[in-house]
Amino acid sequence: MRGLFSFLLFALLGAVQAASYTGSRLLVVLEDESEREKYSVLLEDLTARGYHTTIESPKSESLSLFKHGERGYDHVILLPAKSKGLGPALTANNFLDFLKKEGNVIVALSSEYATPTAVQSLLLELDIHIPSDKGALVVDHFNYDSASASEKHDVLLLPYPAALKPDLKNYFGGDGFIAFPRAVGQTLGNESPLTAPILRAPSTAYSYNPKDEADVVEDPFAVGTQLNLVSALQARNSARLTVVGSAESLQNKWFAEKATLAGKAVKTENRDFAKKLTAWTFKETGVLKVGKFVHYLDDGVSKRINTSAAIPEHNPTIYRIKNDVHFAVEISEYSYDHLTPFVPAPSDAVQLEFSMLSPFHRLNLTPISHTANATLFGVSFKTPDQHGIFNFYINYRRPFLTNIEEKRQVTVRHFAHDEWPRSWQISAAWVWIAGIGVTVAGWLAFVAVWLYSAPTMERSGKKTQ
Amino acid sequence: MPNIRDSSNVSFCRLSPSTALSKSVSLGGTDSLKLLLTTTDGKKAKRPHQAFLTLTDPTTGLEESFIFNVKESGKAKVDLTQKDLPHQFLTSSKPISASIVIASFGASEPYKSKVFDLDIARDPNVPLAVPEKPVRYAAEQEIHHVFREGPRSPPKIITLVFAAAVLGALPVLFGVWLTLGANADHVGKALGGAPISHALFYGSVIAMEGIFFLYYTSWNLFQTLPAAAVVGAVAFLSGSRALSEVQERRLAGLR
Repeated sequence: MRGLFSFLLFALLGAVQAASYTGSRLLVVLEDESEREKYSVLLEDLTARGYHTTIESPKSESLSLFKHGERGYDHVILLPAKSKGLGPALTANNFLDFLKKEGNVIVALSSEYATPTAVQSLLLELDIHIPSDKGALVVDHFNYDSASASEKHDVLLLPYPAALKPDLKNYFGGDGFIAFPRAVGQTLGNESPLTAPILRAPSTAYSYNPKDEADVVEDPFAVGTQLNLVSALQARNSARLTVVGSAESLQNKWFAEKATLAGKAVKTENRDFAKKLTAWTFKETGVLKVGKFVHYLDDGVSKRINTSAAIPEHNPTIYRIKNDVHFAVEISEYSYDHLTPFVPAPSDAVQLEFSMLSPFHRLNLTPISHTANATLFGVSFKTPDQHGIFNFYINYRRPFLTNIEEKRQVTVRHFAHDEWPRSWQISAAWVWIAGIGVTVAGWLAFVAVWLYSAPTMERSGKKTQ
Repeated sequence: MPNIRDSSNVSFCRLSPSTALSKSVSLGGTDSLKLLLTTTDGKKAKRPHQAFLTLTDPTTGLEESFIFNVKESGKAKVDLTQKDLPHQFLTSSKPISASIVIASFGASEPYKSKVFDLDIARDPNVPLAVPEKPVRYAAEQEIHHVFREGPRSPPKIITLVFAAAVLGALPVLFGVWLTLGANADHVGKALGGAPISHALFYGSVIAMEGIFFLYYTSWNLFQTLPAAAVVGAVAFLSGSRALSEVQERRLAGLR
């Protein structure tokens, strides 16, 4: 009976953990209860993945992102609202504090509604820029859905994004087309390494405001690939914020809609893309976990690096300069509901720094072996010829992956007096060693002669005089 | 028909909507590029909503669009100097591809085509303010510690020559002693006079050298000192007897 109970408990825990690596409490901020129906498939999908959804209106008295000073929810989806203000519970500062507590946020924008000032200043704080005027949207006269927007060209049909750079993994890839109706474009500041575009607009797209009377675009907010339809921020504490330019693209009606791109009939894959977006933002994908962090002296035979999966973390605290050292670290990646071995992108590498103030070694780690849910990365090197307090330091920061920052401190000591090579091993010393030998032999011979020499004839004659 | 004019040496090029110029257009530091064209929808001149000159860096994929100033009549114009270009284009090693995008709402057919390559001839004497590259998270350059050079020994042959010279000094010394009449003829006499003392004394002198040798090769100070004390005491006690025997020989005129 008790076994059954604990089994049920574990099953429950498993169900809770299945959703996200960090938690399953999800807050959906939705002003108009009637709008809920429009997002029902998205919300059902999230519930099916294990999230416990709370839907609140920004006007609700009980709404608060925090409870007893800790975050009250793990994730927030902010859907666009008619009213310009979001109320005292959802200020830009509250969202930033929520990010500081490692909460994740999806902000969905819509060109139909004015973006609330709280959201505007939140995005400004994060160096994500959106057009300030209400109604500005992204159009593209080349990649539009001619079934629903044959005149206005404001429903963009775009393929899934490719990897941002060749050394980054792509968590948003797929086959097919995604519809972006009436999207609010964003641009990213160039300074921050924390922001990254998830989906860029095509090079022929531009942002304009249909309310402008001019029939020629003269001063657009941004054009081409500088314009993002979906952008992401991952803070230093790995909290994630995703800005979706078009809240409409998350609605039921675009999840599997028939659309026409340049005369060709296509089906929109928004449901799958929305899954990938929410999964990434809510830490179901792209989450790294460090397992064992092992380093040990290479003493020749007893421990080989490829058998170190069995070695517990008994790390020595002291090494000597010029020691041969092996290092190994286990890294897993969380993927939807389980940990998998982490494989970096082809031209990327996890790097180990052996550092005292600044790195003396920075070495690429190579995968040595895989277990069911982790990759063991390792490298061997020689400790530098400088004594001091060093760190084995892994600082792995990449867009779309949670940050790894792990260090272990060790002392690197000098040679002890009996660890230096002996003088006979140094050829330059042979002359001096020979000199000592000659002195010893000469001394012994001298003592013998002094003690036992018999006088020669002339000498004795001289002496007797 | 689009027209292109390079005003410094006032050269004109005629662009074609279907094919790009085979020759690249050069833009020097003081030059300005003027692009004139008339937009049409079908046969009729018309004002489009979008008329961009899009420059693309072929290596990085960076894009920047310049907007044509379009009149009601469809006459469009854009001016371009090096000042308008972002620094990435100015430092690009390859020519920058320029395409024209003309599009509008409704059913009108959009136009996008590469029209020419822009070769930016920058004056190397003019300093260019290139902002520092912003931080991006990526794998960094590997660092391998450069070890200090170890101590070196001179060539072995030189060492061996000098070691041989040092070792050769011993026979020379012995030879000189022999010519001066050094010998050990009184060993028998000494051992006859004080056998135990002489054996112990000379033995302790050899043993002391042996202790020094062991200290050099394997012993530590705490093994060396007691042994040296024992051997030293033996040498002191036996030495006084042995040296009195030597004194007796000297007094007997045998030294």
